Amino acid sequence: MKISTKGKYALEIIVDLAMHSDEEHLESLKNIAARRALSEKYLERIIKALKDAKLVRSVRGAYGGYCLAKSADKMTVTEVLNAVEGELAPVACLTQETDCGIDCDTCPTRDTWGQMWKQILSVTDSVTIADIVKEIT
Amino acid sequence: MKISTKGRYGLRALVDMAANAEGKPISLTSVAKRQNISLNYLEQVFGTLRKAGIVISTKGSSGGYLLKYEAKDISVRQILEALEGAFSIVDLNPMEMQDPLQQAIQTLLWDEIDEKVNTLLETRTLEQLVDEYKQTKDQGNQMFYI
Repeated sequence: MKISTKGKYALEIIVDLAMHSDEEHLESLKNIAARRALSEKYLERIIKALKDAKLVRSVRGAYGGYCLAKSADKMTVTEVLNAVEGELAPVACLTQETDCGIDCDTCPTRDTWGQMWKQILSVTDSVTIADIVKEIT
Repeated sequence: MKISTKGRYGLRALVDMAANAEGKPISLTSVAKRQNISLNYLEQVFGTLRKAGIVISTKGSSGGYLLKYEAKDISVRQILEALEGAFSIVDLNPMEMQDPLQQAIQTLLWDEIDEKVNTLLETRTLEQLVDEYKQTKDQGNQMFYI
């Protein structure tokens, strides 16, 4: 059970944007890609998912670029990871119907997985993008 | 980010086995039937648990599997590590150099999550899972008779 590469990069891109852009100073795809050592094409795909989740804002044109769609101290890690990874539940049956052969009410393990999910969320809900920026500088 | 099939079905089968054992060896056929898991798959899973020193197998007509230690002395962490390796929320490449941004994410998030989840798995014992399972089963039976 892992956070995917995509999830890791999404978080790095958001933190990078928080450090290098604001409403008046948009940042270009090219600069983010260079700093994060990512191809622009791959970066574009991740940025699109973040835009769809309303975490990133873009402006077209010669002076266009990207910035965060809301303040970094109001954006949690859970929001960013959910945008590209979906729910952070350790097993699928916590968030959707699955065909595992038994009834959830009599499942000997469901509660343990639920507690595991809670522990993960207790960290990702409490850490904001601003917290990460603070940790760097 | 998901627990593997082996981890999910393996833990479930082990709780079922321990809940029904009462000191006697349990046949995998009965676990397979109650948990709706293929016998073939369970044989693989219990082979892994036996190699990891969590269960022992006995041969003969009433043979089957038994816990090697008491359920209160077996942690969920031990079981999951045997079935799918140590829990870690991200894959770490030891050859990769982390820049300050990645280090900050590592410290604030990944290390924290690993620590919290591993503590949970360490403190939860097989006995707790068995007790909870027996309770839910009893509740289910009572409801049936009302």
